[in-house]
Amino acid sequence: MGHSMGDLDLFNPTPEHRALRQTVRAFAEREVEPQALASDRSEHFNLPLFRKLGELGLLGITVDERFGGAGMDAVAAVIAHEELAAVDPGFTLAYLAHAMLFVNNVFLNASDEQRERYLPDACAGRTVCGMCMSEPGAGTDVLGLATTAERRGDGYVLNGAKMWITNGAVDDQTLGDAFLVYARMKGAPRAQLTSFLVDKGTPGFSLGQRLKDKLGMRASSTAELVFEDCEVSERQRVGPEGGATLHMMRNLEIERVTLAAMSLGIARRSLDVMNRYARERTSFGEPLAHFGQVQRHLAESYAEWMAGRSYTYQTAAQIDLGSAGHRLDSDGVKLFCATMAKNVADRAIQVLGGYGYVGEYVVERLWRDAKLLEIGGGTLEAHHKNMTRELGHVQTLR
Amino acid sequence: MKILVPIKRVADPDNANKVKVSADGTQVTTEGLEWKMNPFDEWALEAALRLTEDGAAKSRVGEVVLVSVGPKEAVATVREGLAKGAERGVIVEGNDNDLDSNVIAAALAAVAKKESPDLIVMGKQTVDGDSNVAGTVLADKLGWPIINYAMRIETSDDGKTFAIKRDLDVGVASVKVTGPVVITVSDSILHPESVKNGVTPADFKYPEAEGGRYASLKGIMQAKKKPIAEQTLSGLGVDAKRTVTYKKFELPPARSGQTTFVESVEELVEKLRTEAKVL
Repeated sequence: MGHSMGDLDLFNPTPEHRALRQTVRAFAEREVEPQALASDRSEHFNLPLFRKLGELGLLGITVDERFGGAGMDAVAAVIAHEELAAVDPGFTLAYLAHAMLFVNNVFLNASDEQRERYLPDACAGRTVCGMCMSEPGAGTDVLGLATTAERRGDGYVLNGAKMWITNGAVDDQTLGDAFLVYARMKGAPRAQLTSFLVDKGTPGFSLGQRLKDKLGMRASSTAELVFEDCEVSERQRVGPEGGATLHMMRNLEIERVTLAAMSLGIARRSLDVMNRYARERTSFGEPLAHFGQVQRHLAESYAEWMAGRSYTYQTAAQIDLGSAGHRLDSDGVKLFCATMAKNVADRAIQVLGGYGYVGEYVVERLWRDAKLLEIGGGTLEAHHKNMTRELGHVQTLR
Repeated sequence: MKILVPIKRVADPDNANKVKVSADGTQVTTEGLEWKMNPFDEWALEAALRLTEDGAAKSRVGEVVLVSVGPKEAVATVREGLAKGAERGVIVEGNDNDLDSNVIAAALAAVAKKESPDLIVMGKQTVDGDSNVAGTVLADKLGWPIINYAMRIETSDDGKTFAIKRDLDVGVASVKVTGPVVITVSDSILHPESVKNGVTPADFKYPEAEGGRYASLKGIMQAKKKPIAEQTLSGLGVDAKRTVTYKKFELPPARSGQTTFVESVEELVEKLRTEAKVL
């Protein structure tokens, strides 16, 4: 072997990855952290802060430079999500919905003409965008979605409703700017979906409701979006009719790996908080860290975090954004990390006792935010289903 | 305008409490600490970038050359500066233990003679040694003026003359100076209107930023391709030796962690006098 394995840094494989982590961490600590608690309390999506992500180049992190992106890889996307989520998972979710679900998806799957129309504004933060998959009656059974598209004249008419759409609204009344919407041509088979780019202002497209009172992730806004005889032209269709199921599968991998990265950020911050507290706080005349019960929380949390971190970065390093094929591990990292982060945040609250239960000490917010990652972007049960199917193709694990 | 900006990598100042002293007390050990750009140098770099750009149009109109004297690994710190916008870098290789302000100033003077910049902008000190002399010794070796603790820098003739405000304990001193000159900066240089170069519109305000600008992702990717020249002290003809040697390092005594509450100013003064013995 040419290189010493000791030089391998799985989490910062190149100097550019290290520099990226440094930039995002500095930005997160200086500008995202100070607003995190207040945005959570008031269920406020911080649009000016979001636009700053565009100035830094984070919104088009995986997109080619010719469309206004930074041309970085899946590991870079994982670094950005981990660092931002360590201070504000809610805000990070809005970032993910825009940069991974819309921007990366359009970059991978849309035509050059569509990329030129949508990506420069989306990468710069001039627009806030999202992706519409789930519906009031279809979640884990995504191919059971009921939104229809029908040919009319030169274009299409969309009918249906989409649920749990992050960035669906930017405030209580205002729609986000553009969405990638999955639908099925009327009469088409279950597995053949077709996707469309739908802009705010398209007749028949409206904000059903902004969903309030979420348990966590309150710094991102979530909405129900309604399509009622919504007319879109042919140039808004992405790829061929029936071709969007593959687009969806391609993009789900980076979505799940970056959601796992958010869990890593939540767990790291929770560990930092409980580690510091366990050394400073004394009980019965000794620091908490001297008690076996607290040692177990710290040691198990660290080992689980590092296991999840190693698995996630290893998986991200293998992902080629242009192709599908890492289903087993992209589901696997999210399955492991989502629950790991929820448990680590829970232990942090336990170590802090009463202090852990109030907002000022951060971990109660992280605990609430962590739960969403067991549901959104694939429920734990969806991961069980997908992984078991993938394992059916494996004769012997190597 | 061409500006030379000396930068140094230092052990993460936010975790200075993790710095330890070796068992024999001869050196400070920094194991396990991350390396970062000296914060004072970050501010100097920000000032230099503002002087050499149109801040409103976000276009470069001059050149910033970074120079670092230290171990090879300092290349990461130089790349960080390149990612923020500097054009190229120079590394003068040297072992940190063989360097002091005198050797650094001699190396910087040798680089300055080769590069002939209009200006050298640097931090007033580094957060590890806190000596606060390299800038002044460098100016002396070059025979240039030294302006310390700059908080405002203005030029309207592409760096031939500068109007500078100096941040002093007793107030603000205004000076005019003709280049080439060595300027050291204080943190006030990060003020939104601290730098006027005659190119950026006079009413333009930079955003408030704690440590200067961030390296953008585009900047990070471009920095990969920017040149970094490698030099050695002997190659530059620097034969300076350390003039300062450290005999012994000690950690400050641990704080007792005790808190005393007082009822009145009189009681506070009394306790400061009799218990803390600081008055």
